[in-house]
Amino acid sequence: MNLRISDYFERGKKIKIIINEKTLEAFEGECLSIVLFISNHKNLRLSPKKKENRGMFCLMGSCQECVVLLDGKKVTSCNIFIKEGMVIKTGDLNEF
Amino acid sequence: MSFKNKYDVIVIGAGPSGVSAAITCSKRGLKVLVVDSNENSGGQIYRAPPKSYIIKNKKSLKENLIQIKFSEDLKKNNIDTAYNHTVWQVSPGYKVDAFNDNVTIQWTAKNLIVATGTYEKIVPFEGWTTPGVIGLAACTVMLKSHHTLPGNKIILAGNGPLLILVAYYILKFGGKVEAIIDTSSKFQWLKSMLPLITNPENFIQGISWILKIIFSKVPIYSNSIVKKATNNEDGILVELKNIKNKKLKKINTDVLAVGHGLTPSTDITRLLRVEHIYNELKGGWIAKIDKYFRSSMKGLYITGDGSGISGAIAADDKGKLTAYTTLYDSNIINENEFKTKSNKILKKLNRYEIFAKGIAHLNSTPKELIENIDDNTILCRCEDITKKEIIHAIKKGAKNLNQIKTWTRFGMGPCQGRTCHYSVARVASEQLKCEVKDLSYLTGRTPIRPFPLDKAIGDFEYGEITKVEAAPL
Repeated sequence: MNLRISDYFERGKKIKIIINEKTLEAFEGECLSIVLFISNHKNLRLSPKKKENRGMFCLMGSCQECVVLLDGKKVTSCNIFIKEGMVIKTGDLNEF
Repeated sequence: MSFKNKYDVIVIGAGPSGVSAAITCSKRGLKVLVVDSNENSGGQIYRAPPKSYIIKNKKSLKENLIQIKFSEDLKKNNIDTAYNHTVWQVSPGYKVDAFNDNVTIQWTAKNLIVATGTYEKIVPFEGWTTPGVIGLAACTVMLKSHHTLPGNKIILAGNGPLLILVAYYILKFGGKVEAIIDTSSKFQWLKSMLPLITNPENFIQGISWILKIIFSKVPIYSNSIVKKATNNEDGILVELKNIKNKKLKKINTDVLAVGHGLTPSTDITRLLRVEHIYNELKGGWIAKIDKYFRSSMKGLYITGDGSGISGAIAADDKGKLTAYTTLYDSNIINENEFKTKSNKILKKLNRYEIFAKGIAHLNSTPKELIENIDDNTILCRCEDITKKEIIHAIKKGAKNLNQIKTWTRFGMGPCQGRTCHYSVARVASEQLKCEVKDLSYLTGRTPIRPFPLDKAIGDFEYGEITKVEAAPL
């Protein structure tokens, strides 16, 4: 099923971003958290003590769970709007 | 946009109450700045689509049209807007520090209107940290703002009006709701719906949404809660429990969205050390205000749902009244005008309160949800602190939330306790056999949102560094 609904809006142009060294097609300006969530990248990082998988949770900048590495810097992915060529890493963020 | 350093009024939050407060102040000649972390006005309730989306004019959602009007009105009234700016510190005076992509910036103002709304309360259960388990409010952002379905199969759980709203939008967009797991009973819904008759527009909308859900044959489990969620190869296995007859059931899904009502955001008012009061039906801790939205600190006003939950329709009038109070306190309008204007709005607000009280009962958190939390379940997600560790601290002598924080590190992570303080307080109140309000609230600490230190420091020359005298030996 196409999870992107286009009854009310046209999305931005098709672009490519890089997630864990693999290319992913998405639309310019989409929220990074949502793009990752609907393209089977639900595991974003590991929790500090138990090293359990964590992912997007509140989607409004409150919980800080959706942190990923964007071009080498830690960011909350819920307030990132994607652009062509962004390089994203998920997983054990302290390893990189 | 180029900013001034000084404003008459800074409004934090560009949701319905912030926008209406800003416009009313600006119309009377005050220089106003609106700050918001999102890339546009609208707040969470009318959150704008991404800037790259192009509207197909023929069909539009009501929420999107309201948001467009907000932006137009702000522009028309020459109000400065600092979107994509996240406030990380507020100090008396008033100084507001915010960061965006590149830098941190400070503005000052004689008056500060805090219109920061609410965030979602989610009571933990075993497996609530599993990726794919998200907030109901997160679903509203995905659906209403980004026009994206969260997954192929979605289970909705919790209580309050968001359950109905999210289910309605998923069905409207052609998605599949696997099940609704509702903490409340059908009778509680009926009881809450009745006061809505005072607000016919909302009442008819609510009924039409419920009918759509019923006609779509979505299984609804009333009096039920999520006992446990586990990852499996098909996605997430959700185990639900009926709190009346204790029956269990398992359902598979891609996404589990949970929400137990909303709680006012008090980050800024706690930081400013103003007086707070506890009101469960208003969403929990709120800054103490008079009926004109003045806090206990001169020039500081709290408005919208952040001053106690009463919904988006009331937020517009709350914002207006807050603005008239600001104008009166700044000697811009006289007592007569203030009285006429405020009495008219107060009458309307009293009517909305009847409606808000009905909804508030659906938003309250029954003890069964708290009892369902297993000892090994993480309460504080940022620091991986379990219920057992919280109870251990209490047994060792911690007597309020700040002491539990010092003992365990709960609430010291990047979310500053926003996600967990409610459930920790409920667990502690059971353990200490006291009420939640007796446990106090977490003292506000800077920064209220994490950001890289290089942004705070900025660029400087060696000569610009302030030299500090060595301490005497």
